Amino acid sequence: MVRLVTHNLLACHAKDCNTNNFPLVFQNVQLEIREAEFNPGFIQSFLPKIEWNALVKTAQELGDTSLPIDQPEMIDDELLKNLHHVLFEIHIVEGAMICPNCKHNYPISDGIPNMLLAEHEIA
Amino acid sequence: MRTRYLVAFAQSHSDFRLPELQSISELHDFHIHLPDEPDTSRPFMVVELEDEKHAVILAKRCILIKSIYEFYAQGETYDEVHKMNRSNRHLWEKYIPNTSFKFNVTGFNHTIPQRRQRDVIENFAYMDFRGKIDMKNPEITMACFEEYECRQAPANGLPRKRCEDDGSFKEIFFGRLIVEGTARQLVGVFDVKKRAYFGNTSMEAEISLLMANQTLASPGKLIYDPFMGTGSMAYPIAYFGALVFGSDIDGRQMRGKGKPPGVIRAATQYGVASKIIDLCTFDVTHNPWRCGELFDAIITDPPYGVRAGAKRLGRKKELSEEKKALYFQHSQSPRPDDQPYIPPTKPYELSNLATDLVLLARYLLKPGGRLVFFLPTVTDEYQEVDIHTMMCEGMEVIANSLQDFGSWGRRLITIRKTSNNKYLPPAYRPVAGEAENAHVPAHRDFREKYFQGFNKDGDSLAA
Repeated sequence: MVRLVTHNLLACHAKDCNTNNFPLVFQNVQLEIREAEFNPGFIQSFLPKIEWNALVKTAQELGDTSLPIDQPEMIDDELLKNLHHVLFEIHIVEGAMICPNCKHNYPISDGIPNMLLAEHEIA
Repeated sequence: MRTRYLVAFAQSHSDFRLPELQSISELHDFHIHLPDEPDTSRPFMVVELEDEKHAVILAKRCILIKSIYEFYAQGETYDEVHKMNRSNRHLWEKYIPNTSFKFNVTGFNHTIPQRRQRDVIENFAYMDFRGKIDMKNPEITMACFEEYECRQAPANGLPRKRCEDDGSFKEIFFGRLIVEGTARQLVGVFDVKKRAYFGNTSMEAEISLLMANQTLASPGKLIYDPFMGTGSMAYPIAYFGALVFGSDIDGRQMRGKGKPPGVIRAATQYGVASKIIDLCTFDVTHNPWRCGELFDAIITDPPYGVRAGAKRLGRKKELSEEKKALYFQHSQSPRPDDQPYIPPTKPYELSNLATDLVLLARYLLKPGGRLVFFLPTVTDEYQEVDIHTMMCEGMEVIANSLQDFGSWGRRLITIRKTSNNKYLPPAYRPVAGEAENAHVPAHRDFREKYFQGFNKDGDSLAA
């Protein structure tokens, strides 16, 4: 169930992988759409933490083009609804996340990503 | 205007009573005025609130509140009680003409014989309530409590009977029932035995609810458990409306057998599955969080070694150069029939873990956010200063409640991030060049101490 809100907060953390390590790229994914409770207040307060470009790019890769490429300054109801759907309702159940820099493969199974590092990847 | 209320506490976890009251009043943004020297070991406490609604809020959310009364009188003798009650006539005279009522007389640590209960009630006759007595659905319920000392059975005798020494009470409290506590029933709702998924380290329901209250969990908040395990604390937090992230170095704890993962199954049972934002497998000392200041609270019960010890990535003993080369060669060209790679782990000593956890919380919490976690301590060795060994600038301890198991206990520590500064993530290394005479906290090497039976003279297992 990796949701895009989670995906947007995770970067590759392997040793010496410090640039171009975000966003991780989804691979061979199996998606599920699950309805979630709409909480506009939370989205608004959390938005400053979200990397907009990464979110839009990832959503597009998964086939959702409801978000504008440039982050709008005004947030209207429609945008909030779209954000809600993208951030909370798209679940990645199976697949992997690949680091664009070091190509580390973080596998996802049953919706739980394995972000453990191998012995040579820890400092 | 402030009114006095009598709070009757449930008879458990007395050290947790005040922190809970304070947390829930902070969560709902009202003041609770406590007595100057509150004695939390006693089951009754007179507090002041600005509004009766606040009493209702407390009773709805505080796990340790049994009921709350409008306070009329207290005293060591009935003469004192009646005198005070008469002087507070303005509080109850509106009930005189036509309000149905009932009268309860209850002993704490004691059973008052029925006959004397009747006498007590009749001695309040001067209040002159004209309304009818209604034992089933009264408009108001008056309550009179006699608090008795908890007396231990003498070493060579039978325990005291519940009705012995009638009348030798310590203090009397009298008031009108405002609200019965409704949060206590959650202890049954979250009973671990009835949960769809749990493990041998699952936290009992009552304590995890108390922890949840310390985090100020409420809708719109995001709370993180970095040692998620079987998710015991996630369910009450989600029930109170917060969104939850969980991570654990061992994914099997969160998954269990079968599908969907165990934590999700249990969350579904409580109707809060959609509040579990995500679960991730990673070592919190090598974590993938992209930035800090994400969470409103961090809640966790770090594994401290009685059932399971904490682990982090790495090896107890470094590999030889030769083996390292072999490992590296293999990791570059895995064979097709390889089992999934499981990295090696090493023990994570408790006092280092605690220090790191506070630093991590300072990085990951929003300003004003809270870190709530359990720290096991050795009862004979614990000193206040132990807690300070793990503190850092920008973080402040706001509550420290002991759950006593005899020779050891665990302390529920609540820490607030008081600073608005941005901080770096911790380095997860024991502080280099630690001063030689630095204080060694009693929870250092807790696991070893536990299995040596807390030997004071340091004899190891020989004893």
